[in-house]
Amino acid sequence: MAEEMRIGVFVCDCGSNIAGYLDVKSLAEYAKTLPNVVFVKENLYTCSENGINEIKAAIKEQHLNRVVVASCTPRTHEPLFRGTCAEGGLNPYLFEMVNIRDQCSWVHMQERETGTNKARDLIRMGVAKAALLKPQEPIQSPMDPKAMVIGGGIAGMTAALAIANRGYEVTLVEKSADLGGLLLKLDKLAPSGADAAAIALKQADAVRRHPNIRLLTSTVIDEVKGYIGNFNVSTSTNGSNDQFPIGIIVVATGAQVFKPAGLYGYDGRKVITQLELEEVLKSKAFAAKNVVMIQCVGARNDERKYCSRICCMVAIKNAIEIKQVNPETGVRILYRDIQAYGTENEALFQHAKELGVIFIKYDPARPPKVEDGKVMIYHDLLGREIVLPQDLVVLSTPLVAGEDNEAISRLLRVSLDGNKFFLEAHVKLKPLDFATDGIYLCGNAHYPATVREAVSQALGAASRASIPLSRRVMSVEPIVSTLVDEDACRGCGLCAALCPYGALEIVRGEKGRKVRVIPVACKGCGVCAATCYQHALSVNSYTDLQIGEQIKAFLEESA
Amino acid sequence: MNKDVLVIGGGIAGIQASLDLAEMGIQVHMVERLPSIGGKMAQLDKTFPTNDCAI
Amino acid sequence: MGNFKINVKRKARYVNEDLCTGCGSCAEKCPTMAVDVFNAGIGQRKAIYKYFAQGIPSVFTIDAPNCRQLGQGKKCGVCAKTCQAKAIDFEQKDATVEVEAGAIVIASGYDVFDPSVIPEYGYGRIDNVVTALEFERLLSASGPTSGHLDRPSELALEKEIEESEKEVRKLSGRVKQLEEKQGKNSAQVIEEVKAGASDPALLEWAKQAESLAGIETRLEAMHHKKAAATTARKLAFIQCVGSRDFRFNKFCSSYCCMHSVKEAMIANEHDREVHSSIFCMDLRAVGRGFEEYKLRGGLQANIEYVRGRVAEITEGEAKNPIVWYECTTDRQVKSQVFDMVVLASACVPSAGTAKLAQLAGVELDANGFIKTDSLMPLAASRPGIFVCGCAQGPMDIPESVAQASSAAACAAEVVIGAPAELRATA
Repeated sequence: MAEEMRIGVFVCDCGSNIAGYLDVKSLAEYAKTLPNVVFVKENLYTCSENGINEIKAAIKEQHLNRVVVASCTPRTHEPLFRGTCAEGGLNPYLFEMVNIRDQCSWVHMQERETGTNKARDLIRMGVAKAALLKPQEPIQSPMDPKAMVIGGGIAGMTAALAIANRGYEVTLVEKSADLGGLLLKLDKLAPSGADAAAIALKQADAVRRHPNIRLLTSTVIDEVKGYIGNFNVSTSTNGSNDQFPIGIIVVATGAQVFKPAGLYGYDGRKVITQLELEEVLKSKAFAAKNVVMIQCVGARNDERKYCSRICCMVAIKNAIEIKQVNPETGVRILYRDIQAYGTENEALFQHAKELGVIFIKYDPARPPKVEDGKVMIYHDLLGREIVLPQDLVVLSTPLVAGEDNEAISRLLRVSLDGNKFFLEAHVKLKPLDFATDGIYLCGNAHYPATVREAVSQALGAASRASIPLSRRVMSVEPIVSTLVDEDACRGCGLCAALCPYGALEIVRGEKGRKVRVIPVACKGCGVCAATCYQHALSVNSYTDLQIGEQIKAFLEESA
Repeated sequence: MNKDVLVIGGGIAGIQASLDLAEMGIQVHMVERLPSIGGKMAQLDKTFPTNDCAI
Repeated sequence: MGNFKINVKRKARYVNEDLCTGCGSCAEKCPTMAVDVFNAGIGQRKAIYKYFAQGIPSVFTIDAPNCRQLGQGKKCGVCAKTCQAKAIDFEQKDATVEVEAGAIVIASGYDVFDPSVIPEYGYGRIDNVVTALEFERLLSASGPTSGHLDRPSELALEKEIEESEKEVRKLSGRVKQLEEKQGKNSAQVIEEVKAGASDPALLEWAKQAESLAGIETRLEAMHHKKAAATTARKLAFIQCVGSRDFRFNKFCSSYCCMHSVKEAMIANEHDREVHSSIFCMDLRAVGRGFEEYKLRGGLQANIEYVRGRVAEITEGEAKNPIVWYECTTDRQVKSQVFDMVVLASACVPSAGTAKLAQLAGVELDANGFIKTDSLMPLAASRPGIFVCGCAQGPMDIPESVAQASSAAACAAEVVIGAPAELRATA
């Protein structure tokens, strides 16, 4: 290619995030000395409207054909700068981002000189790579506007109805025989006092009657092939198999209540869980005179560090109900923190106290001791151990990950967190999306949630899902694996076996067994290209040549 | 039936709602009383639990 | 529903948005300073300003009441003369824009409870007692102190030094003039007045000279104090300020426990010497990763969690706040001196919420937030109007974002419903 390389470099102060720790002026001066660099600008905030406009103007006026921005993390800002290049008339894949903040200024805050030298190296490497970038076009992929919701609890049903109401066909898959999930086992909800099962059954009825929803109960998912817009699902229902195409998937598989075997003398009769108490209250069989509830049983400990969010309110709700059944019943709740967050919950907590429920804080280093007829607890405010009478002990246990989570995460190739709950793409900004495109998440499957929260998340997931569903064609980033040397490929299948996203398959063609990339499923992770000993596969914008040049640039002495 | 949606408020909630609606192909009118969008989140330094920058 | 007509008042910026490039030359030349609301009242900004550096849209606005020309009837117009894009327009008027919409999403957010109504906490009286939002600005690299935990008392001291230096310059200029004209020096004049001289001009001169000497001495002391100042190292965070409080808001503001842990952690990251005590009743860490974050704070970021509500904050030596509390785990009333106290102030409905609710015809709940139903958590009481985020109650960012997507779905359902070509046959 006889094209003259004209690289523009924009070095960002990032306020004082970078300029406060590195000599940005000298970095900008240094960039001017690099090969093929014809334009350099130092910005206060490259991501501001000004900075963006400067990039666009420079592309036009300086006839730039490559742009390098040395600033923060590509994770948050690469799409912005790529879009800027596109608006400026430059192919967005002729853009390279160098991270001199998270990977430099922020980790070398007390080392100005060393940090600046490192930033010089990074910029030199980025410029070297930029010269080798090739223009790319987004890859188009068709979208099958059908959805599948996994899980028929309140979250799953709400998501299915919301998507169906938008006019899309939804298949709702539930492994048990009934719709309704955990709510079917609960007594009442707070603060509305509504009957939990009735709410669930009402939604179930709406699901059954909706013309756009195909309901599959007693159904297990055996396999999910494909990618966003083009999934293929295989299921089995009581022995008979089925297969159908789907565009997007919503995971609403819920969670299960932890059974505290071996803790506090749990026996399911005199020492029970809150879920078992719900059963007792539902069947109007409650007759105890003195109840002691213990919070955080099996939670907020070394084994299970997290707080299960809803158990304090469950205990409070049930305590209030007990007092309503019989105001004379002694109810004492032993807690570590009362998690009555928000407006409604705090009011309910107050109400419980007004009804005479007694709250006693305990230190996890001195947990309560349950014995026949009594509970011993060290009371901080009194400074001594006290004895509480009991003829029923209720243990508030956490919600733990559903038993199928690991299997589902493998089937769908989505991530789990350390506690085996499903992991979203970004805790703050993408709480309902998975990192894998086309799959969404809501309800207890994500993290313990109240009904209000689960419904809200389900509607949110339906909204997120509607975005791709509403498009005929999906546009995918071209930073994907490509078969660059078909003759070199031996069809060994090592790459396909290692791909975490199911984006590679081996197909038989005229030239024999060869690998085929499914661009839409590919995340550009590079495992295949690194594995292929024939160098047949390469990742666009991360080719061996480009990375090699970066390493060479690094090893050069800096000017 | 008018096809547009009015979003009142340009903080993180207003911004996310507007983006989602726009990506679904709906015309959004966003109204914000301050000279810039961003709301309270723009005033935060970092956010929990990841300690990411608020901006 | 389906056919809302809304009149929006578009306030005049006095800057043409299409022409302004956001370059900032106008602000550099503007002679007037005003309180910086974005920086929670700490520090100042010019009368022509950008709300914050990365703000969208990247254009400037004139704060009319504080502008010499627009608000104070004085002659100025420096910004217009400086502006190369000719974007300043003093004649711009407020405009009414009529919007027609099929659905409305209310995302009007919240305000921070003003703790000055709790006099025992000393907010507004004791310099080094700040709200959490003010602390965020102090922590921010883009804030008024570039992320250094300079104490507000030091900032106030700096301001005093600046003003005293200005006063010194003025007085010494005058005194020097007198000395040159009369050929005497001020010390002599002071002696003469002490000896009984009664010439009013001499008396005036002596007064000014003495005043000057006085300010100079005070300045020296202030400079000493400033040199000796360090950034805040010992921090106290007081939870439930205005929340879970029968006098003000009975509810819990949801995010402040986590907010305080985060601020303490970031402060410790800036300066490893920082030690924080968080005074709470319950430390509510209920979201994904929150409990782990809280534990990490205790183990790695020098955070101590104290269970006890704070009774009073007084001011001690060197403007250090003293916190008086009962530690419920050892049943003792204690006091501790800190460098700075941060009040985790309640999340209350934003100022315009009641009026907005009235205009929109939606109900408020007992706390003044926009009312929603448990089973339809995004719907306001009037069909076609949805509400998300803190406008409906205190919540953190992931919840606000999730709710916003949900509200978008609900609004979309109203205006579009089922796309014609995809409607399944019944």
